[in-house]
Amino acid sequence: MKISAFAQFAYRKFGDGFEKKHDSSVDTPWSLVDPAEVRAGYRDYIDGLMLAARSGFDGLVVTEHGQASYDMMANPSLVAAALAYATETENLEVAIYPAGRSLGKSREPVRVAEEYAMVDHVSGGRLVAGFPVGLMYDACINNGVPPIELRSRFDENLELVLRAWRDDKPFEWNGRHSQLECVNIWPRPWQRPRPPVWLTGTGNPATMQIAHEREFGFNYLSWFGTKLTGPRIFNRFWEMADKLGRPRNPYQMGILQVAAVAATDAEAERKYRPHVEYVFNRGPGAIARHKLAIPGGVSVAGLQALMRDPSDMGISDQLRVVSFGKLVDVGSVILGSVDTVTERLTELIKQYRIGNLHLMMQFGSMPRELAMENIALFGKEVLPRLKHLWRDDGFEHHWWPERLGGKPRYETAKQTARAGAA
Amino acid sequence: MAAPIVETKERAIDVGGGRLKLRFKTAGNGEPIVYLHPAGGLFFDPFLGALSQTRSIYAPEVPGTSAGDNNAIHLVDDLWDLVLLYEEGIRGLGLSTAPVVIGQSFGGMLAAELAAHFPQLFSKVILFDPIGLRREGLPITNWMTTPPEKLPALLFKNPEHPAAKAMFTPPPDPELAVKLLSGLVWALGCTGKFVWPLADKGLRKRLHRITAPTLIVWGKDDALIPSDYAREFGDAIKGSRVEIIPDCGHIPQAEQMQTTLGLVQEFLSQGDSRP
Repeated sequence: MKISAFAQFAYRKFGDGFEKKHDSSVDTPWSLVDPAEVRAGYRDYIDGLMLAARSGFDGLVVTEHGQASYDMMANPSLVAAALAYATETENLEVAIYPAGRSLGKSREPVRVAEEYAMVDHVSGGRLVAGFPVGLMYDACINNGVPPIELRSRFDENLELVLRAWRDDKPFEWNGRHSQLECVNIWPRPWQRPRPPVWLTGTGNPATMQIAHEREFGFNYLSWFGTKLTGPRIFNRFWEMADKLGRPRNPYQMGILQVAAVAATDAEAERKYRPHVEYVFNRGPGAIARHKLAIPGGVSVAGLQALMRDPSDMGISDQLRVVSFGKLVDVGSVILGSVDTVTERLTELIKQYRIGNLHLMMQFGSMPRELAMENIALFGKEVLPRLKHLWRDDGFEHHWWPERLGGKPRYETAKQTARAGAA
Repeated sequence: MAAPIVETKERAIDVGGGRLKLRFKTAGNGEPIVYLHPAGGLFFDPFLGALSQTRSIYAPEVPGTSAGDNNAIHLVDDLWDLVLLYEEGIRGLGLSTAPVVIGQSFGGMLAAELAAHFPQLFSKVILFDPIGLRREGLPITNWMTTPPEKLPALLFKNPEHPAAKAMFTPPPDPELAVKLLSGLVWALGCTGKFVWPLADKGLRKRLHRITAPTLIVWGKDDALIPSDYAREFGDAIKGSRVEIIPDCGHIPQAEQMQTTLGLVQEFLSQGDSRP
């Protein structure tokens, strides 16, 4: 079992009622902000990830969001580079895991390939390379990508990045979204032929299919309530594995989970409740819904599937107003005593065959001290009780760097050629 | 989203060297009119029904918006590509006389682009609240990021207007509602490919090339693209005529159908009075 620390850098001091007046991304007024709090927050955010690295976590997971008050991370390669260097100087054997650069958004895919390759070198081969399509507000509104081109841009950018990493010789690229005379990145990644690659999905079978066919890991984010969505999303992934004749290897599956631990269940609720409400109501939950689902971003078949049965989306349309109790009930957050949290996480991991758990332990309005307390207690008490999961089930981790005990596996030339032709 | 009130026929023309088909819906008999639909796709509304009493309507669908051919949009690269494909398609109809073009909103922009690229293609040009220009200080509302519940007020001066009700009331059959709504959303996505982000794609620099007699009709209370843009179009197209319709939003042909029809009929009956 690989257990990583996941963090987003949120503005922590929005007042009550923020979410009734404002969205948390795109046009959030900067005038609401105390810049000193932002400066202090960046330090706390990186310190929290470093504490996790020192506390025995397997990886440090960061994300990309532009013009977002809930995650001021224009480019996750920036913080990944800082973490790569800092962990290397302390000999911390931890994965640097941007989950990561949005390839539906990026107009500079060669730069993405080069940045990741650089982080891979600085970290000495500890990079895990995440590539989400990206959220529509970010790709389309913030970066001007026509919504209907989001998916094809992602597909082409991914092929270009992979080839830029793989090919020893310079090549020319005559694509729809990039036309380049000479692609020859310096450096190529330290890991050869490439670092492990992870996609992020919300349930679209097409994304799952690519993961299976190309030997990519698959991440799912539990914001929408895993108790509602888990049976659908995870089972869909594993049924597809069966159909394709692939093993149900839990190490191919990752999940983000908001989680908090304290001495008792009651204390956990008392300490963390306001911050849980904050992260959901005023953070990602306060993204304007209509800026996440812009026409063109979802195919006709996808639209019809969602209209007939929106259950894949769980409580996504309630996040701005959802109560603490509901968030706990549907599994959007797992919190409590060491025993409670261990039990809930074990259940989640076993039920859906999850081999990579990304715990979000610093979130919302949480002050520095509380975040550190949460991360340290998880590292000390919960990690040792989860790490053994899947150890004796006979699976290898093909989606993790070799330096960190992984046995990376890559698509064959035939699979690459097939994807290129498609 | 009611059923079309006019019986239409289909005609598909190979364009782009056989790369794809431009699909037309046609109706009526008489002198030809090419009708270019708005961002939400083609709907044969009562306005077109009335026109088709005395004219032939040829209404091409933006690739991808035709039922059953949704992936065709991915075969069109950009606005320039679209303009060339439309010219080929309209030429491919083999009409004996140059048709009049009527374009609504997105279709208005496309009509202006076509008339500017190919000044001989149309005998007359009629634009209803066209998009395509953008000037600082004169904001356009992005319909693609407008919450669905706010669309009636964005498109109609009076969101209670029967035409608004007809447009936004889903049919009782849930499966039909899914089909229509998904088609509408996809049509917005397809047409959005050519206008996103909502900036001037160079039309302002091309409008002077339009030589056909041009009528510009605008709803005075258009909340999507303000009627001040009527003058921008009018000034750029030499000899054009601008008509502002009071008590009217973004879709004059629906919200003030009789007035709009009257203006169009009058304009169609005039000879070319320009020098």
